[in-house]
Amino acid sequence: MTSVTAGLQHLVERDRDHECEGYGPNHLCVRLVGAADLPTRFGEFSIVAFWNNRDAKEHVAIVRGDVRDREQVPCRVHSECLTGDALGSLRCDCRDQLEAALRRIGELPQGIVLYMRQEGRGIGLINKVRAYALQDRGLDTVEANLALGFRDDERDYAIAAHMIHSLGVKSIRLMTNNPQKVEQLQQYGIEVDGRDPHILPPNPHNLFYLQTKANRSGHFIDFAGKPHLAEQGDWVRVEGMPERIPEEE
Amino acid sequence: MVVGAGVSGLECARALARAGHDVLVIDKARGVGGRCATRRIEGQPVDHGLAFLHGSDPGFLAALDAVAADGAGTPLEGWPAAVQGSGSPCQPDAFAPGERRVAFAEGVSAFPKHLARELRVRLQTRVTALGLAGLRLALELDDGGRIDAETVVLALPLEQARELLATLPAGIADLDGVRALLSMLGTLPCLTVMAGYPPEIGAAVPFDLCYPAGSRALQLVAHDSAKRAAPAQCVMVYQARPAWSRERLEAEPSQWAPELLEAAAGLCGTWTAQPLWHQTHRWRFARVDRGSELAGPVVVQFPGGARLALAGESFAPGGGVEAAFLSGRRLAARLHEEFA
Ligand SMILES: Cc1cc2nc3c(=O)[nH]c(=O)nc-3n(C[C@H](O)[C@H](O)[C@H](O)COP(=O)(O)OP(=O)(O)OC[C@H]3O[C@@H](n4cnc5c(N)ncnc54)[C@H](O)[C@@H]3O)c2cc1C
Ligand SMILES: [Zn+2]
Ligand SMILES: [Zn+2]
Repeated sequence: MTSVTAGLQHLVERDRDHECEGYGPNHLCVRLVGAADLPTRFGEFSIVAFWNNRDAKEHVAIVRGDVRDREQVPCRVHSECLTGDALGSLRCDCRDQLEAALRRIGELPQGIVLYMRQEGRGIGLINKVRAYALQDRGLDTVEANLALGFRDDERDYAIAAHMIHSLGVKSIRLMTNNPQKVEQLQQYGIEVDGRDPHILPPNPHNLFYLQTKANRSGHFIDFAGKPHLAEQGDWVRVEGMPERIPEEE
Repeated sequence: MVVGAGVSGLECARALARAGHDVLVIDKARGVGGRCATRRIEGQPVDHGLAFLHGSDPGFLAALDAVAADGAGTPLEGWPAAVQGSGSPCQPDAFAPGERRVAFAEGVSAFPKHLARELRVRLQTRVTALGLAGLRLALELDDGGRIDAETVVLALPLEQARELLATLPAGIADLDGVRALLSMLGTLPCLTVMAGYPPEIGAAVPFDLCYPAGSRALQLVAHDSAKRAAPAQCVMVYQARPAWSRERLEAEPSQWAPELLEAAAGLCGTWTAQPLWHQTHRWRFARVDRGSELAGPVVVQFPGGARLALAGESFAPGGGVEAAFLSGRRLAARLHEEFA
């Protein structure tokens, strides 16, 4: 076991009977319940598993280096996307976004990727497949997507904030193109000491971002004619794209 | 204007009325409540739709508490107490920790009656089609009448909402999207038999509710008269499984009611198959399962300002009567906000 994981193990012991009044209106509380080494193709990490008092979702943190009492720890919040992360789907850019975060943090002395186990921003896998089905028929309208649950879930930030707090960091730098995410974490008492844009290296699958304009609803249409929703709640930015592209959905 | 006086429509109308809006509720039935339904048989209330109410949302529980406070019903807290069988409940969450269960001695319809107390409700009026009338939406009624409104809420089972949406022209993007979305969802049917027995049988029925395992026909057996004070007769309600119901949905009740009673006989004893009387109800649209659950209500805005909105059990997470209630409440909040 690396010394970093050993340090996290202490936090697991510290949390054994942790109970606080909770974050946010739903009083969300989490505990570190397991930590282990996680060597990856992106570098050496530790993985930390969390329990929460709300649901059966098992969120994790992928931690690089000793982050306790550190300031300005680079941090990326990623929402689980089965189709993108695991299956390599080209309907979204989640896997590129996850890999870019791990690769970048893998090169730094410290950093955290929070991997939130809610499919597509709380939409759920069943309804995500339905959202795709509507896209296939050219009918992915704002109201339909809203009904399917495509929205930012305030609950996620409460959990993420508690996780960051439990890891013992003093302050973070958030890796995101969406300044709202900074505010949302600050609301829960996390000290966010700056924001770093999250820029993806160009590849054959994301070239269309550079070659086409977003449509009215802020979606980019890829080479296969499929719109890309902002599944990570974050504007996609490929190297060479200007800051802050599509206007409000 | 709210179409549908079920729990979702009534709660939506009530919240809008409280916020100062002028609301009219229309329903095709003779009474309010929709699937939260009670009928009287030989003077005794019988719940032939959902057997009890359950939930955990504080707002929903407060509304249940208010039923007793305004004298609309006598709550039976914690009913069903005696639950048998290892079959799956219609709503798996109903018996989760933190979930409160309640029935009413006067029947579950005490709840919608309470919700409707201060509302304008026009009963026995079916909406047959929707249309655009200038900047407003027009409702065509089965009595030949026509009314129009700026905002129309459809608080109906998915299929019935879809039928009405189909009467509007195509070409409005949000409406087309919502129509396509609804076509991916569906409501399960439930054939139901209510049966009466001599009162002494009631004392021997060892349960309030039974979810039989391994029956292809039966989903639920409810000892309905256990909810009544000093019942003059023993009444049982038998609810059939969705697939079994689907296969017999268009058949005459005389073709399936005896079969359902026979299935119960194998489970509870031969007496169940020889009731003093029985009645049937065909719930073509009884309930949704987890596969037809949406995150929230829907509002379609028409060019010119008219709004068509959807609420109902599918339009909030969780399903069932609590979701119906919450969808109505959330829709009212959204409509009110967007008025301002
Ligand atoms: C047998 C059965 C068992 C159930 N078990 C459970 C359970 O265990 N737990 C649980 O939580 N839920 C259960 N449910 C589901 C629960 O009853 C419903 O989810 C809830 O009552 C739905 O409320 P609603 O307002 O969405 O719709 P409804 O109650 O269906 O209200 C719709 C109303 O619209 C009216 N209407 C329809 N079309 C028109 C028209 N064209 N014009 C005018 N009016 C119209 C209808 O008459 C009806 O009153 C059960 C339902 C049934 C039938
Ligand atoms: Zn806590
Ligand atoms: Zn994705």
